[in-house]
Amino acid sequence: MSKRILQHPEIPAGENTISWRSVGQLEGSQDFRNTLDREFPRAAAEMADEADAETSRRSFLKLMGASTALAGLSMAACRRPEKYTVPYTQAPEWIIPGKALYYASAMPRSSGATPVVVTTFEGRPTKLGPNTLHPDSDGTDAFVQASILDLYSPSRSQKILHHGAAADLAGLEAVIKEATTSGKFGIVFGADESPTRSRLAKEIAAKFPSAMFYSYESLSPAAAASRQVADFAKADRILALDCDFASLDPQGPITPFFDRRKPEGKGYKAKRDKKSMNRLYAVESLFTLTGGMADHRLRIEPSKVIRIAADIARQVMAKTGGSAPAELSSFAPVTEEKIVKWVAACADDLVASKGNALVLAGSRTSAALKNIAFAINTALTSFGATLQSIASDNAGFGDIAALKKDLDSAAIEHVILLTPANVAFDAPADLAIVESLHKAKSSIHWGLRTDASAHAATWHIPAAHYLESWSDARSANGHYTLIQPMILPLYDAAVSELELLSALLDGKITSGEESAAFAAVRKTFTGDDAAWKKALREGFVAGAAASAPATAPVVTAESLTDASEQSLDVIFSTDGSIYDGRWIENAWLQESPDPISKLTWDNAALIAPKTAKALGIYDQVIALESPRAASPVDGEAGNRRAPVISISLGGKSIEIPVLIAFGLAENTIVLPVGYGQGYDVEDELARGPMNATHVGLVGVNRGVNVNQLRTSATTYLAQGAKVTLTEKRYSVALTQEHHAMYGRALAREISTMDVEKHHKNYSFEKQYDGVAKQGNDAHAPENMSLYKQEGSATWNPGKDGKAQPLLSDDLHQWAMNIDLSSCMGCNACLVACQAENNIPVVGKEQVAMGRAMHWIRMDRYFAQDKNNTFDIDSPAMVPQPVACVQCESAPCETVCPVNATVHTEDGLNAMAYNRCIGTRYCANNCPYKARRFNYFDYNKRNPLIAHNLYKGPLGTTQVGEAPHLQRNPNVTVRMRGVMEKCTYCVQRLKDAKIRQKRGQKQDVLASGKTSPEVVVTTKTLRIPIDSVKVACQEACPADAISFGNLLDEKAATVVRGRELARSYELLHYIGTIPRTLYMARVKNPNEKMPDAEFVGTATIHMA
Amino acid sequence: MANIFPRWTNLLPLKIAICAGSVAVGVVAAFTVYATPKSTVVGYQPSQPIPFSHKIHVDQLGLDCRYCHSFVDNSDHSNLPSANTCWNCHQHVQRQSPKLDPLHRAMDKTHPLYDGKPIEWVKVHKAPDYVKFSHSAHVNRGVSCVSCHGQVDQMDVVFHAKNHSMGFCLECHRAPENEVRPLEEVFNLKYDAAQYLQDNVVLNDKGERITEPKEFGKQLKETFKLQPKESCATCHH
Repeated sequence: MSKRILQHPEIPAGENTISWRSVGQLEGSQDFRNTLDREFPRAAAEMADEADAETSRRSFLKLMGASTALAGLSMAACRRPEKYTVPYTQAPEWIIPGKALYYASAMPRSSGATPVVVTTFEGRPTKLGPNTLHPDSDGTDAFVQASILDLYSPSRSQKILHHGAAADLAGLEAVIKEATTSGKFGIVFGADESPTRSRLAKEIAAKFPSAMFYSYESLSPAAAASRQVADFAKADRILALDCDFASLDPQGPITPFFDRRKPEGKGYKAKRDKKSMNRLYAVESLFTLTGGMADHRLRIEPSKVIRIAADIARQVMAKTGGSAPAELSSFAPVTEEKIVKWVAACADDLVASKGNALVLAGSRTSAALKNIAFAINTALTSFGATLQSIASDNAGFGDIAALKKDLDSAAIEHVILLTPANVAFDAPADLAIVESLHKAKSSIHWGLRTDASAHAATWHIPAAHYLESWSDARSANGHYTLIQPMILPLYDAAVSELELLSALLDGKITSGEESAAFAAVRKTFTGDDAAWKKALREGFVAGAAASAPATAPVVTAESLTDASEQSLDVIFSTDGSIYDGRWIENAWLQESPDPISKLTWDNAALIAPKTAKALGIYDQVIALESPRAASPVDGEAGNRRAPVISISLGGKSIEIPVLIAFGLAENTIVLPVGYGQGYDVEDELARGPMNATHVGLVGVNRGVNVNQLRTSATTYLAQGAKVTLTEKRYSVALTQEHHAMYGRALAREISTMDVEKHHKNYSFEKQYDGVAKQGNDAHAPENMSLYKQEGSATWNPGKDGKAQPLLSDDLHQWAMNIDLSSCMGCNACLVACQAENNIPVVGKEQVAMGRAMHWIRMDRYFAQDKNNTFDIDSPAMVPQPVACVQCESAPCETVCPVNATVHTEDGLNAMAYNRCIGTRYCANNCPYKARRFNYFDYNKRNPLIAHNLYKGPLGTTQVGEAPHLQRNPNVTVRMRGVMEKCTYCVQRLKDAKIRQKRGQKQDVLASGKTSPEVVVTTKTLRIPIDSVKVACQEACPADAISFGNLLDEKAATVVRGRELARSYELLHYIGTIPRTLYMARVKNPNEKMPDAEFVGTATIHMA
Repeated sequence: MANIFPRWTNLLPLKIAICAGSVAVGVVAAFTVYATPKSTVVGYQPSQPIPFSHKIHVDQLGLDCRYCHSFVDNSDHSNLPSANTCWNCHQHVQRQSPKLDPLHRAMDKTHPLYDGKPIEWVKVHKAPDYVKFSHSAHVNRGVSCVSCHGQVDQMDVVFHAKNHSMGFCLECHRAPENEVRPLEEVFNLKYDAAQYLQDNVVLNDKGERITEPKEFGKQLKETFKLQPKESCATCHH
């Protein structure tokens, strides 16, 4: 190894916390050490071996020859091309060429619509942000951010299909007529709520009394008369029972929860106060992001979750003076001493905060568990305080079992599938819903994709995207929220849900400009035109839905057996990237690493280390990168391959790659749902061709379909699975060790409780004040910079004839804070950044080689206390988003031979893409590993077609024109051979500054003088405090990112944040002076809990 | 002593010089034609679908730049007028002129050529994709159209008057005092600083009247608090 390896200082003596990213690192396996020595992932830095170098050299020469020949051909025809400017014929109102227009709309979702503001350029939607005016606004998550890509997806369904062949609208109208004539038809809605849809459903029910209505989404509970919405602002103590309320299973607007994770309150306005923080207890079997945020997380087998819930219920009821229902006694208490203590302390804490406590059960858990949670909430008087019960628009709709029954009994002869779920793919396997669908005389599928359901139905009609449709929706708390179209449907055949429903009433399918949906929504909205315009402008009408008195369900019994190695529990988990599989065609989501497993493009079975050892697969898994792995077809690629296991359950079995996951309950396998929708001949495990037409380029050959194992009774949890190891191996594109940083105290954590360390007692205040001195920073001497950060006194002197400081801008000096106390590690910022900055998708093979282009890297660390006597195998999870930190003294700038990366006067580390020649010195010299290199022309050559990138100029270019329409016109689309990275959304900053400059003219006009007489002030030119938001900050549901102008001083959130003692510089001791500061994570443990002393010590050291 | 070099070598140096010279000229010519940026083609004067004369409209009729380029002080782009802007006048003026056929084609529903297709103007000034230039940032801060586009008001057919190379941009960003003028005069293409100083009383810091255009420029730079940036990200992102 010729490379000089920096010896990081030893981890301080007395440090009890062990931290790691991947199982290889924890085990110190040989291939992990190789990775470490190599610094960059194999193919991201060098040729793999001689043979690889040889093939690459040959292909390089071949390509050069080809391109020279082509250049010769085109040279002959080379003339200066004429370019045209084509203005509108009739200028449309409001549109100013080159300026964005913003409209309020909303994305319908089962947990309540997400209010959004859509950025459009010349009528083309390009970016989504949260509508902060909306009372239920809680940022956006990755799904919302990525949903805009679906609009432009080349594999979007574009034609009406009849038995898979293109058909016309008249045929479809005839079928609808047939259905309405018979009157025996059923409509399957999604789990989202829409007032206009409900109104039309009622009209349809009145006109056709035998029409039936259903509601189905595979990961949402069946429709009920009311639903419970949590109010996290009031919740002091929260108990989550297998409930990922922070991320994949929303139970109410989430931002208020994160506001209370900051000891200084929202916007860092208050003095630090540990009592103002909430406390989260999580009891769960799989690791969720909510569990990662928890102050006390109990890792427990699925069969015991409900018993613990029952234990807590008994204790809470006893302490609040209520009587426990008899059914509770059917749950045997958990007798393990540690857990008994845990439960007692937790119950005490909940009771002490009675009225401000909240218990949440996951929406996918069993009815028995939800009933117990309801009973505890009742005992804690949570209803009306931390929990609201709201009437649902979907009350009375049947579930999927009812649909099957009605189809089988011919109660309905025609069925219209309007649900965003993929019924034929994700309905419980035992229902055999496809067979029932075939019994119907006609079935009409409406959707964005020609998925399994489109093929199972007799008719398919392409759906208009929600950004192309008129509609309305209810947000989490039931506020009436409007959905307005940004653009006419891109494809003529596309219709919206309301247009299809209207067609049932009047027989004619309308779309585009004559849409019946507009009239339908306008009719639901009863206000006058002024109110309508206001509602359109703001996107909503405030007024929560009527509260429905929740009728207490009776606590029911449930018998679960304890799992063992021979009879494992299986949890069908919601996938962090593609949810229930509906996003399988979305390349941004597929490529964003799973927040916890860091797996991209596939799913895999997750098993805890001890169980894996017991099953004999652990050693196989940690040796992912084995020299025996077959060499990949393209001559280069990461050869990380996971072993494939066979899981048999209830007489069925699947083969799926396996990964070791930390913090899972023992004897539990977690299987993320949604993958495996179609395979073609390129499939690595030779599963194809199978259902290849159900998916497009993005979704083909992705993961394994685990839905075959799910039945109606086991949609979430199944018991009695058996695992055997197969000989097969499958490549996995894991990003956890890519672009890894090394150093002391990368992510820092403190506790509100007194901590004993080095035989000294550290109070919360002491820990808080000592954050900046954690790790190396405690004893490393301050850096002395020889570099003066000044310009030249000779060439560019200031007014006084002396050298000027390089950061000379006296109007703006940008800076960012990332608060780890709020960050849960979801991918919202990562995908928002991708949408804003035209970041390309590179495909699974390239990700496996460490060439993912995301400017924000979401690091996820695990940490455990060596002395943890409570549960040594339940590590803390610490996420840390890292983008370019804009060092004032940037190591990358000094090594660039062409000055392509330089500093701006306002403190950005800028990239001039047109200047970059791609030496990659800068990336080598970046200690934060924040720079990304375009190894291929990902924007021009489609990376999703197998081997396409390696064909050079002969490769296929991008499919279709539509994907280019999403691009942000203010950001350069980078080409091959160019380095890129975060520049704090410089396009947004510039826009804001230019807009602000127009104020001079206003000042002159207002003064009544001429412009030479009016002196321009700083106030005129400096943009208002906190008025510009960068894309990641805007998207963050947790308010973890603050950004602003340092010169605004304390008025700016970012300055208030960075003046707090818990903010620190990442890798401070190397002296880069970053502009992005991190703020230590604060955990708020309960002193009486048996695991309290191990909480809040997860400071991450990487060796 | 025998000749070392045969006779034919006498002319060799000359031949080599001529060859090398013509190769060099060829390379320079080819580079100039094919490889220099389009933004630096001074004198480029394509013919337009409608022979629109700025001289007639601006100089003779006195139209303001912003009547047609209506968003120049609002947006990054200086828009070309949409056809309905032309039609505002030309449905009354010169309606029969065959030169206006493309306009009729776009706007005049009674015209036999009407197809509603927009007019395709040929681009004269083109900034490369990797350059972000904002018109509004300049015209709102005292930089006139003339500074970059020349005396468009005197042009019958618009041509590329100035070399829009990066050096050209930097020249002004380093010394804005040479180009800056009062905000009121930005769209006055006939503005003359000396004349302005004669007509208006402008005082300097010491309370003395400014008469020198150069001093006026410096004074304006101070008053306007102009700090044009020179870092890459100013235009490239």
